[in-house]
Amino acid sequence: MTSFYLFGAVAVGASLLVIAQRNPVYSVLLLIASFGALSGLYVLLDAPFVAVIQIIVYAGAIMVLFLFVVMLLNAPHEDTEQDLERMASRRPAAAGGVRIFGGALAAGLLVELWWALTKNGGESGVFPGGAVSSVRTIGRSLFTDYAFAFEVTSVLILVAMVGAVVLARREVVTGLGRGRPPGPRTLK
Amino acid sequence: MTPLLIAQIGLTLFVFVMLLSSAAVMVYVERKVAAMLQQRLGPYLVGPKGLLQPLADVIKLMFKEELRPLAADPLLFALAPILSATAAFAAFAVVPFGADTTLFGLLREPLRLQVADVNVAILVIFAIASMGVYGIVLAGWSSNSKYSLIGGLRSSAQMISYELSYGLALAGVLVIANSLSLSDIVNRQSGTWLGFLPRWFLFVQPLGFFIYMTAGIAETNRAPFDFPEAEQELVAGYHTEYSSMSFAMFFLAEYINMVTMSAVATDLFLGGWHGPFLPESLGWIWFLLKVAAILFFYVWMRWTLPRYRYDQLMRFGWKILLPLAVVNLLVTAAGVLYFGA
Repeated sequence: MTSFYLFGAVAVGASLLVIAQRNPVYSVLLLIASFGALSGLYVLLDAPFVAVIQIIVYAGAIMVLFLFVVMLLNAPHEDTEQDLERMASRRPAAAGGVRIFGGALAAGLLVELWWALTKNGGESGVFPGGAVSSVRTIGRSLFTDYAFAFEVTSVLILVAMVGAVVLARREVVTGLGRGRPPGPRTLK
Repeated sequence: MTPLLIAQIGLTLFVFVMLLSSAAVMVYVERKVAAMLQQRLGPYLVGPKGLLQPLADVIKLMFKEELRPLAADPLLFALAPILSATAAFAAFAVVPFGADTTLFGLLREPLRLQVADVNVAILVIFAIASMGVYGIVLAGWSSNSKYSLIGGLRSSAQMISYELSYGLALAGVLVIANSLSLSDIVNRQSGTWLGFLPRWFLFVQPLGFFIYMTAGIAETNRAPFDFPEAEQELVAGYHTEYSSMSFAMFFLAEYINMVTMSAVATDLFLGGWHGPFLPESLGWIWFLLKVAAILFFYVWMRWTLPRYRYDQLMRFGWKILLPLAVVNLLVTAAGVLYFGA
């Protein structure tokens, strides 16, 4: 039980700190810490496979990409306060809208958190999956009961990948009168 | 405290110390082998045959000044080498390196020569390796230097690209062994075929072994894939701005990663501690010999092959190694379905 509270506290604390950071690189790192604590919780649930996959996929693969983007965009500080003030002087209605929307979102989250803590806090039901911890069971149910969802998810990821390639691809224009004249430097 | 628990703690400390000293030994071996390959003498002044050279190096590093660039991010700059070294040490925890032993009858229950017996051991190694990337990326970014940043980016791009082939090469072995636990995989490789050929997975997964070794060299950032620290273009890559012990930690992490990579290769493809002539209880000698052979191969490669160009590395990784790994996995799976495991 102690380890549950330890991992839970780290997960919640790190998640809260993610949004309290000015430097986005620190936010990314705190999110990784939160994922690590989550994976600890999975270990406590007797699901080591899910725990390790959580680290490999989220903390390992996805967050590295996040970190790349954050580092290369070179946005060391998020000056939301100053941005808002600048906006307020120019377009007061829009700034007010942003404030109200943000406030509503925060209030909604708080209500949800309160509901989750009070409603479900009492029941400590048995983990429904029983023996989902074994790799064999997970693989079998993924490729039989959830085969459709599994395949559709992979198509979804493929679409995202194709989209990223299309967005990132730059046409090399070679030809007279368009941009730089043709020469060795325009050849790829 | 039961005797088994004490033995377990002792084993953990033993593995830690052995990893530390393996890095020192590797530094010496690397320099000596390099010298032999280049017809030089190598270190020979400190101690007999220069054997104490690594010790002298460590003492020198300890007494160097710890420098930090003014524009660096202080917290992350300090954290990065710690992350690298921790990940390197942690990965070895799930690697078994010998058969169960009772320590010459001292213990009633047998002790497993593995710090942590996890049933998803291979995935744990994979997960920790992906954490090790952060050490390098953060070192590159927090130093606030262009050489470091480029080195860090290159290294992470390289590690992410080759992790795929690495994982798929492992998957071939997992399909044959039908288990994710490293000790199970090793035990599947005991005995011989036709009385003389050891049942190593190397002989059923030759392509997998080749892919594993190649991707392993790229993962550990060794020559001919040592782009992160290509000294002719990047000074020293991601650890350009590091000095003293924080530099030593990166150095340590690199050598320990090599040892772990070789130990995992031994467990997966070379039958772990199984071998002829020696009884099971002395199997760790076989394990050490096999690991040493792979490490020597690493060093040999480094001083024989020149560095590739970066686009060649990426093309090789994505267009040759990855398709090969996929084909290898498919053929293996089909074979297991057809012939049975």
